[in-house]
Amino acid sequence: MMDAPAIEARGLFKSFGAAPVLRGIDLAIAPGRALMIIGRNGAGKSTLLRLLAGLGAPNDGEVRLFGTPSRKLEAADRRRLGMLTHQSFLYPNLTARENLEFYCALYRVADSAAAIGRWLERVGLARFAAERVRAFSRGMEQRLALARALIHRPDALLMDEPFAALDPDGAELAATLIREALARGCAVALTAHRAFDLDAGRCTARELVRGRLLDAPANAASAERAEYPPAHPGVGAR
Amino acid sequence: MANTFTRTLAALTGLLMFAAIYMTFVFVPTEAEQGIVQRIFYFHVPCAWVAFAAFGIVAISGIFYLWLGGQIWDDLGYTCAEIGMVFCTLVLVTGSIWARPIWGVWWTWDSRLTTTLILWLLYGGYLMLRAMAGDSPQVARFAAVIGIVAAADVPVIVVSVRLWRTIHPAVLITKQGQHGLTDPRMVATLLVALAAFTALFALLLLIRFASLRTRSRLAALERELNLIDAAAGDL
Amino acid sequence: MAGFVAVLRKDLTLELRGGESTLALVALSILILIVMVFALNPAGGAADAPIAAGALWVAMIFAGMAGAARTVLAERDNGCLRALYLSPLDRGAIFLAKLAAASIFMVVAEAAVVLMLVLFFNLDFDLRLVRMLPALALGLIGFAALATLLAAISGRVHAGDLLMPLLAVPMYVPALIAGVKASAAALGGAQWSAMGQWLRIMIAFDVLFVAAGFILFEHLLGED
Repeated sequence: MMDAPAIEARGLFKSFGAAPVLRGIDLAIAPGRALMIIGRNGAGKSTLLRLLAGLGAPNDGEVRLFGTPSRKLEAADRRRLGMLTHQSFLYPNLTARENLEFYCALYRVADSAAAIGRWLERVGLARFAAERVRAFSRGMEQRLALARALIHRPDALLMDEPFAALDPDGAELAATLIREALARGCAVALTAHRAFDLDAGRCTARELVRGRLLDAPANAASAERAEYPPAHPGVGAR
Repeated sequence: MANTFTRTLAALTGLLMFAAIYMTFVFVPTEAEQGIVQRIFYFHVPCAWVAFAAFGIVAISGIFYLWLGGQIWDDLGYTCAEIGMVFCTLVLVTGSIWARPIWGVWWTWDSRLTTTLILWLLYGGYLMLRAMAGDSPQVARFAAVIGIVAAADVPVIVVSVRLWRTIHPAVLITKQGQHGLTDPRMVATLLVALAAFTALFALLLLIRFASLRTRSRLAALERELNLIDAAAGDL
Repeated sequence: MAGFVAVLRKDLTLELRGGESTLALVALSILILIVMVFALNPAGGAADAPIAAGALWVAMIFAGMAGAARTVLAERDNGCLRALYLSPLDRGAIFLAKLAAASIFMVVAEAAVVLMLVLFFNLDFDLRLVRMLPALALGLIGFAALATLLAAISGRVHAGDLLMPLLAVPMYVPALIAGVKASAAALGGAQWSAMGQWLRIMIAFDVLFVAAGFILFEHLLGED
């Protein structure tokens, strides 16, 4: 028997105007498991993550985080959610350290000074702790955003293309951080353009095609070299 | 749309409206001090009543929209804001027509006129929001909040404007006491006019609401149709 | 409470660090004051009290419209408004923190404007100015609350910058009337008692809009 899912969606439909983006998404992610959502640009990956976070409301269907509808999450449960999007959620005019201090205060992270030092070290930004984020490169900002999303040790993690803008070292770092989160029982939903071997034992890859979640190769490792050609030409823009 | 209820209501409205017009122009005696122009009163007051009622419904449906969700509440609020705006405009126009012969000016910063003008501007802003921001649940929530806050603001507006005028009396004395309906026929006329305008309000509400509901359903159908299209593409 | 302090502290840090809200507020307020002086051509003397009061309030609401909303608008960069929405922070507390920040910026700006008002209208630094302060403070809080509430709308819809004054000015009418009246009375040398009824209206307005913002802000932050 699996644990009760931390992230769960049932019959999710979402249209923008009349154009369908998501057409009946069902997913359930148990603690310590990851779902890798593969899709082309415009496939609706970001929309799906936004709905999972409760940032948007579906036209039909339901999203639950920790068993509660995500739009009605209480503060205690919101504390258990971490999110990484293509927007970094960082303040350009604050330094790296100040940004983390702010989020530690919002999420009431215990012993935040130590946690911030540790995380800055971890994402390789310790030297830049006192630099303002506006001076950061896109990759550095993404590294800091990773620390920002993880510093409160969330139990559910939603990551929109966590490897975007990262150099190979950074991508490896991100993968390691996700594996660690999984190992301590965090449920992870992440999106990517193509599948790769994140954590074969814990990670399932599914492909988002034309608003539906298809079962991609069960073994994500075997998909590493797959090219993911467009299954239905010409629908990428939907 | 034109079901039996709507038709009956339309007939009733027409009947009442004819009665109100007849009573206003023929039946009711001319007011002694103001003369013939006072008859506009029997249109002016019902318009104000309808405008206030409509704006009240905007706020109530806003509360229900935020509380329960449901496109129907948003459609109701939008409908009433539009209708309220029409009647609020009529209040200003009839008020102006009335003011000219009585007070010698088209406009005076009388407390009631001023309050009506502020209301007109407030709900004009509400409708501008809806017109410029387009249709989306987010805009509907924005509109609901504006509708609620605006209605809550109205009592404060009324009190402040009244104090403003009492402290600084207008050059033209506005003796609201002149509305004193000395003749029972005046009361009867006003009541019939109120009934006629209330029926007109209900009729407009019904028709416009139905059309907004149809539009919402159409949007939902269009969404569904696109979904079916997409599903067919899966095969 | 801790979250409220964190957001407010962050906003003040950002403002001290080259945020432009306060400076823009001061500059714009003074410009509007100058425009009012040109337009109304005060003669000098006691008869100017209502004119000075009017100029002060016009400067406050039009500068405030541009400045007070910035605390909310600044959060749109990098999606920080979403981050706040997702955080465990109570949404009402977000409103209060933004309101507090906007109020502080406006207090600084108004201090500068009152100073300029004294110079432009040849007023004296005496009790009359002091008597004007409660009305100014109440009006400022009310306006900050209104602007913060509306900024969550105007910042996120098409042509929102146009909508801001269309919605803010009619809503602010009661506080504007009361504020101008109370200020004019104060500058004209009236006693406290003459201002009581106006201050009561402003208190009612402030309570209404702070409460409305606190309760309704959550609904404004949600997205589709």
